[in-house]
Amino acid sequence: MIQKVRVITTYGPDLKGESILSEIKTRLKLRYVNKVQSIKVYRLEEVPLKDTKVLAEALLSEPINQKYTINESITCLEGARLAKRAKALPAGRQAHLRGGQPPIVEIAYKSGVMNPEVASILKAAADLKIKLSACDTSNEYAFFGNLSRREAINIVDKLNLYNKTVEQIVNYEPETLLIQGQPGKTQIVPIRSMTNNQLMMLSTDKLSLNLEEMQAIKNYFTKIKRNPSDLELETIAQTWSEHSGHKTFKAELVVNGKKKAPLIKRIKQEALKHKKNIVSAFVDNSGIMDFYDGFGICGKVETHNAPSAIEPYGGAMTGSGGVFRDIAATGKGAKNIASTDIFCFAPLELPVKEIPEGCLPPDYLLQRVVTGVKDYGNRMGIPTNNGSVHFHPDFRAKPAVIVGAYGILPKKYAKKDLPELGDLIICAGGRTGRDGIHGATFSSGEMTEQTAKVNSSAVQIGNAIEEKRMFDALLEVRDKDLITLVQDCGGGGFSSAIGEIGEKLGVSIDLKKAPLKYQGLSPWEIWVSESQERIIVVIDPKKLKRFEEICAKYNVENTVLGKFDGSKKLNVAFGKEIVCDLDMQFLHHGLPKRILVARQNKSHSRSLREASESGNPYNVEAPKKEKEWIDALVKVLTHGNVCSKEPIIRLYDHSVQGTCDLQPFTGVKLDGPNDSPVLRPFLDKKYGMVIAHGLNPVLNKIDPYWGSIWAGVEAVSNFVAVGGNYKEASFIENYIWPFPDEESLWDLDRSVDAVIDLMKVLKIPVISGKDSLSSTYRGRGNKIIKIPPTLCMSVFGKIKDVSKTITADFKFKDSTIVLVGKLDDSLGGSTYLEVNGIRGTNVPKVDLRMLPKTLNSIYQGIQKGQILSCHDVSEGGVITAIFEMCVGGNCGVKIHLGGVTMSHLRGDRMGSSKVKLLFNETAGTFVVEVENEKAAKKLFKNVPFMILGKTQSGSVIEVTNRKPLFKANIEELKKVWQQLMKELFA
Amino acid sequence: MSKKPKVLVLKADGTNRDEEMAYAFKIAGGNPEIVHVNQLRNGIKKMEDYQILALPGGFAYGDDIVSGKILAIELTSFLGSQMKKFIERKNTVILGVCNGFQALVRTGLLPFRDFGKMSVSLTNNDSGHFECRWIKLKIEESVCKFTSGLVGKVVDYPVAHGEGKFFALDKTLNEVEKEKLVVFRYADEEGNATMEYPKNPAGALNSVGGICDPTGRILGLMPHPECFVRAEQHSNWRRGEVEVMGLPLFENMVKFVREAK
Repeated sequence: MIQKVRVITTYGPDLKGESILSEIKTRLKLRYVNKVQSIKVYRLEEVPLKDTKVLAEALLSEPINQKYTINESITCLEGARLAKRAKALPAGRQAHLRGGQPPIVEIAYKSGVMNPEVASILKAAADLKIKLSACDTSNEYAFFGNLSRREAINIVDKLNLYNKTVEQIVNYEPETLLIQGQPGKTQIVPIRSMTNNQLMMLSTDKLSLNLEEMQAIKNYFTKIKRNPSDLELETIAQTWSEHSGHKTFKAELVVNGKKKAPLIKRIKQEALKHKKNIVSAFVDNSGIMDFYDGFGICGKVETHNAPSAIEPYGGAMTGSGGVFRDIAATGKGAKNIASTDIFCFAPLELPVKEIPEGCLPPDYLLQRVVTGVKDYGNRMGIPTNNGSVHFHPDFRAKPAVIVGAYGILPKKYAKKDLPELGDLIICAGGRTGRDGIHGATFSSGEMTEQTAKVNSSAVQIGNAIEEKRMFDALLEVRDKDLITLVQDCGGGGFSSAIGEIGEKLGVSIDLKKAPLKYQGLSPWEIWVSESQERIIVVIDPKKLKRFEEICAKYNVENTVLGKFDGSKKLNVAFGKEIVCDLDMQFLHHGLPKRILVARQNKSHSRSLREASESGNPYNVEAPKKEKEWIDALVKVLTHGNVCSKEPIIRLYDHSVQGTCDLQPFTGVKLDGPNDSPVLRPFLDKKYGMVIAHGLNPVLNKIDPYWGSIWAGVEAVSNFVAVGGNYKEASFIENYIWPFPDEESLWDLDRSVDAVIDLMKVLKIPVISGKDSLSSTYRGRGNKIIKIPPTLCMSVFGKIKDVSKTITADFKFKDSTIVLVGKLDDSLGGSTYLEVNGIRGTNVPKVDLRMLPKTLNSIYQGIQKGQILSCHDVSEGGVITAIFEMCVGGNCGVKIHLGGVTMSHLRGDRMGSSKVKLLFNETAGTFVVEVENEKAAKKLFKNVPFMILGKTQSGSVIEVTNRKPLFKANIEELKKVWQQLMKELFA
Repeated sequence: MSKKPKVLVLKADGTNRDEEMAYAFKIAGGNPEIVHVNQLRNGIKKMEDYQILALPGGFAYGDDIVSGKILAIELTSFLGSQMKKFIERKNTVILGVCNGFQALVRTGLLPFRDFGKMSVSLTNNDSGHFECRWIKLKIEESVCKFTSGLVGKVVDYPVAHGEGKFFALDKTLNEVEKEKLVVFRYADEEGNATMEYPKNPAGALNSVGGICDPTGRILGLMPHPECFVRAEQHSNWRRGEVEVMGLPLFENMVKFVREAK
């Protein structure tokens, strides 16, 4: 029999209930609900009433501010209270309050889905010496007001209060919580007799391969004279998916009729020319560069766009979880020390009717993605101390969710050992369930209005604590030198992880040994499941016992799945049944080589055309009156790409590990943003690392080459602005691109050229990268939306002495403010033009010849202690950088444009040189604070610079040319700059 | 020369500020060791070998049910007799920070040393969300044994929590105040107790940020003194001289157990 315990909070706010009520009022605009009560429900199986009472009192409820009931309704308490209140109301409104029982909707995990709380309850019950055979938890929501249960369910649906992939509305009491099931059968697919049409039907929505690839599979099985099992087909599809196979990056190219080497080959070739600091690049789950004292630091940046588009909370969580595992599974194991989060959405004010069918609104996406990142990262104890949010209307079809992680490891463990015959293959960590099936193949396909429905099982569920204890155990087994290698179980699950490490020797696996979350999975489902928090470890059988002891210490489940058998085959069995017998040679090298054609759109690239059609920048009048200047500034500061992201950052734990010596926000009131975090991974050492990134979808869309240059230069500028030496840094590239048709591939080719040019100019390598080339939406009637082609460049590096780093907040009154670096006079793609309704075609072009000198002058100035504060120029332009420095310094500035030589900023009808200076967004330029003009002249004698003015007390930004232009109150500007994200998150 | 006092930094599934905690005790002159709770359960390690028990921050057992609950039950039941013996020794100290404080409150050790009976709570922040920021705390005159030289000071510590609202019924709250068990109070620049968000980030009643038991040897607080044991951890160390305010607390604890008989 099942005992049902219900718990409510009686003192203090019922946060969940209140937030639902507020959403009912604000988002659904319904007036007939006056209160929502959330109720926690526990079902306990086969436990006497007496023990149930003990558990309810000691474990399930709090004695001070909560109440519980056993096997009876709990809302009667609340109902009675409200009924009393109702007496005071007019007669018409009393009825629904008096009714006693309000409609209740219960949300529970679907039968069989692992509920992480259950293990904790069973453990605590055992500690209390009470035996439970099973238990489950769920939530009830009671809706007080004038509504029926049907209407209540409607509200629950509309507010997305549950994730249909894993949760359900409970309509019947379960008879038992114990789950039984029969494993599914393995099917044989008659591929040898299939026509081309049938091959493609098999591929669509399941394998995501093209006809040529399907034919290659058919030919292989024709040759070996048998048909494949479903598991074999899934294995091939997964190994050959764009996600795992990176087919576009490996393809031979024909660009505008000329042959060109594959993209990845070109990137690697240039990168390996700059290998001074490289420990390992492009071969492991993350790229490793040299650090100090025999250590290396590693970095990995991933995208998790497809899952986040349909289930943003789970998508963001598992995106974080996945990239943390990439770090953990680097070499023989690395410790995660930082994470970064970068998102791109449609503008928050996008009208609902413009959201494509099957897509979610941007404000909901942003809130849920942030919550997912927060819940996972904070629980892992990994500081999230760098990130950004970007907006462009074309992200309405699919957001970009970019998650990065950084780690540290002794260099002696930086390389995986080669497995030997007889070595064991162990699965450690979480159990395998049906979640995440087809994630790798799904993320490689285009999104359609059907995606959310068809692929709901592709979304994984995260449990950070499982991953945390697994990492704790992993670091200990690494330090005891017990393992040969560790591999992440990510996209493609066991299939990918084991298929990869087994390529050389061959492996035999028994899937029946895999611990499952619940019974009933077919062998192929176990094999390709992307259930989270699992790793594959390879060890020498002699070390198994010690390995198991350490896993037991950390409560980490581990199971030997199989071993390296020397067969050069992928042998998979399910008990006695053989379900896979594939040649490794075919699996890893049977994928037909692609030759892809890239072509520039004849007259004009489409995006450029769109940009120029958006309006003529020369028709924008420059502000004249003071009010016009201030209005322009307010518009720029309130833009999503420029506004303060502080409310988001406060939700992320950036202080955990105690390593962050330069924090995201500093200054008198701790509200001035900084360019990059500086970390001290070892608390007792002086040296540290700097992490930064840059991207600009707006510029990238207009001009893939110069937009990409901007992204890389912005990343390096952020790195240098805090005191980093760019010569001690490495890049990570991430491509989030529309499906590579000829035109998008041409854009991609240009962008890769930009990345290579950046490496050449700066003489530093890209050491890791990832591409997601499926960000195209295909709706009904072939409505196509391409997201902006986006290159995210991350950069991380080492720094000898973290005390020689600086923040962006102005430090003193009467300091001299200098603009360092060469401004380009183009405003195309700038925030200033955008708030005037125009994109513009000429994006700012960075002077690559001058760039290294500029970066070096900033680095040297900070080393010498003569640059007192520094901020790089980016979205919002020079004036925004100055404003943010004022916010941090809690002071004002006096800017004299009259004193500035602006000869190369051509004045014309639209902008006059004043606009082109103040709202200029050229990357690679910096606003710095120095003591006086003399210091500036000495520090920047080899690079272009302009003296802009001085800091002053009070809170006014004062700009004069020959005559005063405007005086803006910083407190007022700050209010509007902070408003947008405050509304969403505070 | 006296030996360095042994510090047991307790780790459970989901604990995550254990290394910072160990580091703080190390530079304060202690001899810290991170011990997994399973090592206490199976007897590989014993509480009797240590003088200081430190419960760090994090999300022990995922904060399932409510924060710190599962760990609190483990400490009061399975490890109950070890714990009792530990607190009965007059020369021992227990420190709980953030998640460790939440667990201590749920064991009943704080504030009234009533092992197994909870009398105050740390519950959801009024804001409804997690909060990571530097805040100010006034160190009160209290029965705490580790605040010598610190009483009356206003210190900066970082907070990072979502369930940090100190909550008690009026009667209990009065008792806590009367017995001088409040050690830390969220404060404004001048050191006045504050209820204003975000200075009092969770909306803690009576601005309580940390409390001790009547012996003054058990201390719990939501903010993280272990993350302010060197100047560069402070967000504004570049704006002028910073007094490192977390370290003295650990030094005082180490000194106390050294001198205690």
